[in-house]
Amino acid sequence: MMGGRFQITRLGAGLLTSLTVLIALAWVFPLYWGVISSLKPEDEVVRPYIELWPQTLTFDHYYSALTKSLIGLWYINSLATAVGVTAITIFSSMLCGYAISQLNFPGRRYLHILILACFMVPTQTLIINHFVLMAHMHLLNTWLGMILPQLIYPVIIIIYKQFFDGVPKEFREAALMDNASEWRIFYRVYMPMNWGITTALAIVVFIWTWNNFLWPFLAATQNETMTVPVGITQVYNAFGVYYARRLAAAVLAALPVVLLYLFFQRQVTQAITLSAGIKG
Amino acid sequence: MSDIKLSNVSKTFGTVSVIDDLTLTVHSGEFLVLLGPSGSGKTTILRMIAGLETIDKGTLEIGGQRCESLPPGQRKVAMVFQNYALYPHMSVSGNMAFGLENIGLDKAEIAARIAAAAKLLEMTSLLDRYPAQLSGGQRQRVAIGRAIVKQPKAFLFDEPLSNLDAALRVRTRVELAQLHQRLQSTVVYVTHDQTEAMTLADRVVVLNNRHVEQIGTPMEIYHRPATRFVASFVGSPAMNFIQVKTKLNGKKMGIVAPSGKWIALPSASITKGDVELGIRPESINIVDRDADATGQVKIIERLGERTLLHVQLDKGPLIIVQDSGLSKLNINSPVKLKFNVSQISLFGPDGKSSLRSAAS
Repeated sequence: MMGGRFQITRLGAGLLTSLTVLIALAWVFPLYWGVISSLKPEDEVVRPYIELWPQTLTFDHYYSALTKSLIGLWYINSLATAVGVTAITIFSSMLCGYAISQLNFPGRRYLHILILACFMVPTQTLIINHFVLMAHMHLLNTWLGMILPQLIYPVIIIIYKQFFDGVPKEFREAALMDNASEWRIFYRVYMPMNWGITTALAIVVFIWTWNNFLWPFLAATQNETMTVPVGITQVYNAFGVYYARRLAAAVLAALPVVLLYLFFQRQVTQAITLSAGIKG
Repeated sequence: MSDIKLSNVSKTFGTVSVIDDLTLTVHSGEFLVLLGPSGSGKTTILRMIAGLETIDKGTLEIGGQRCESLPPGQRKVAMVFQNYALYPHMSVSGNMAFGLENIGLDKAEIAARIAAAAKLLEMTSLLDRYPAQLSGGQRQRVAIGRAIVKQPKAFLFDEPLSNLDAALRVRTRVELAQLHQRLQSTVVYVTHDQTEAMTLADRVVVLNNRHVEQIGTPMEIYHRPATRFVASFVGSPAMNFIQVKTKLNGKKMGIVAPSGKWIALPSASITKGDVELGIRPESINIVDRDADATGQVKIIERLGERTLLHVQLDKGPLIIVQDSGLSKLNINSPVKLKFNVSQISLFGPDGKSSLRSAAS
C-alpha cells in the first residue's frame, strides 16, 4: 500500500520535473538561438533549415559591432544613466519610505495614497509631457535628461515602507532613548539594517533602467547620446538587414545584465519576490 | 536626587482613557515595580516616564526637573526593553557606545564607561560580538549594560525577563537585585509576574484596568491586600474566597464560618451582611477539632516541600489548603480546617477590603 503510494508520488514528481524542464527549454531556446546565430557567418543564419551548432564559428560580427558602431559610447551612456537612476531612486525612495513609515507628519496618509495612486498612471501616458519638459529645459541628448524622467519608481518606495513597517518599533524607541536625532536614527539604525534589501532593489532598478527603451529612444536623438538598447537598433546596413551582426549587438547589450544577474541571483530573486504583487 | 514624581497624570488613546489622574512618587534609589495583568496600564506609565508616550494632563518631574515636554533622550533615564532592542548591525560595544556618541562624549570617556560596565556585568569578552551571536541571557546583560553606561538618573525596565527561560529568569532576577544593591539607583520595573515583583521590589504598585489598586511593600501587598483583585492577583496559589455573613455577637463583630461557628474579628469598619472572606492556603490549618470549616480532599498536588490540597467544603466552594510536604491525607479524606484569624481578609460587595485583621 505504502509502496504504491510512493510510486505514484514519484511518478507525479517525475512528470512535474519533465514539464518544468520542457518549459525551461522553451524559454532558453530563443536565447541559445540568438547567441549561436551571432556566431555563424551571415549565409548560415539565413539557411532555411535548423542548424543547432554553427558549421563555421566566427566572432566577426562581435568585432564588427564593437568597431563599426558606437557601442562603447552607448555602454558609457547606459552605465551613466543606469547608475544615476539607481543611486538617486534608491536613496530618495528609502528616505520617502522611511518618512511614510516612521514619521508622524500631517498628510502622511494622503502622501501614501498618492504614491499608491501613481501605480495607476502608465509611464507611456507621461512620455509627451516628459519630452516637452526636457526639451524646454534643453536636457534632450544629455545624461540628466535621460535620468530625470526615469526616477519614478513608486514600487521601490512602497517596498521600503513595508520593510520599515516590519522593523520592530523598539529599535526606533531605543534610539530615541539614546538621544539620537531623526537623521541619525535613519542613517545609523535603519539604513544599515536594510543593506540586503537595498542591494536587491538597486540591482533590479539597474536592470530595469538598463533595459528601458522608450524614454531613452525619445530622449536621445543623436547616435552619440544613445544607450545600448536604443543604439543596437542602429546596427544595420544600407544593403539590408544583417541578422548575425544585429544579434551580436543584442548579445553585447544584454551581457552586463546577464552577468549582474548571475553574480547577484539571490538578491534579484528576493527583489522580484518583494515587488511581485505590488508592481503595477 | 533622582526621584520621579508623576502628578495628576492622565493619558487617553483616542477616546479611551488609559491613565486617569495618577499621582505617584518613586523615591530616589527605590526599586518600584508596576505589577498588573495585560492592559492594566503599567507599560503606558513607564513609557510616559520614558517620553515614548506623551502626557495629556499633569506633570512629570525626574530628579527635580520638569520633563513632560522633554524628548526621551533628554530625560536622563535609560530603558531596558522587553525584547532588548539591541541594534543588530552593531557590536556589543557599538550598541553601548551609540547613546554616548549621540551626547557628544569623547572617545576615551566612552571607552572607559563601556569597560567599567562590561566589568560590572562580567561581559568583557563579549564586547566585539554581535547580538545575533549572543544567547538570550547575554543579550539581556548587554541591554542592561547599554543602560548603565549612560549613568542615568533612573532605570526603566519593561518586562525584561519575560523572554528568558525559567531557570535563567530566576538567575537574572537575583543578578538584577544584586545590581540594584550595588548601584543604589532609582528603578521603575514593569512586570506581570508577581514573583518578580515580590522578590525585587521595595514597593509594588498593583494596577488593574488602568487604575491603581494598591501601593505598598511586597509584604503589605501580600498580607494586607486592599482589594479583592490584589488578593487574587498576588500569591500562587491564589487566595481562597468564601462567601460569609457578618454577625454581631453582643458588642463584638464577627463572621459566621462555613461550619456555622462564629469567629470574632478585631473591630474595624466591617461591611454588614454578606462579605467575602479571603484567606491564603498557608493560613488554613488542618485540625482534629474546633473546626471553622469541614470538607473533603478532591485533588492532591505534592510539590515536595509542601502539599496543596484542593478541598471541597461541605458548605462552601472548593478551596486550596497548604499542608506539609509529607501530608498523609488521601483523596476523599475528610478534613477539618481552622482559619488563622490574624490572616483573614474581608471584602465588601465593592471588592474593597473592609478589614485588615493583621493591622489591628
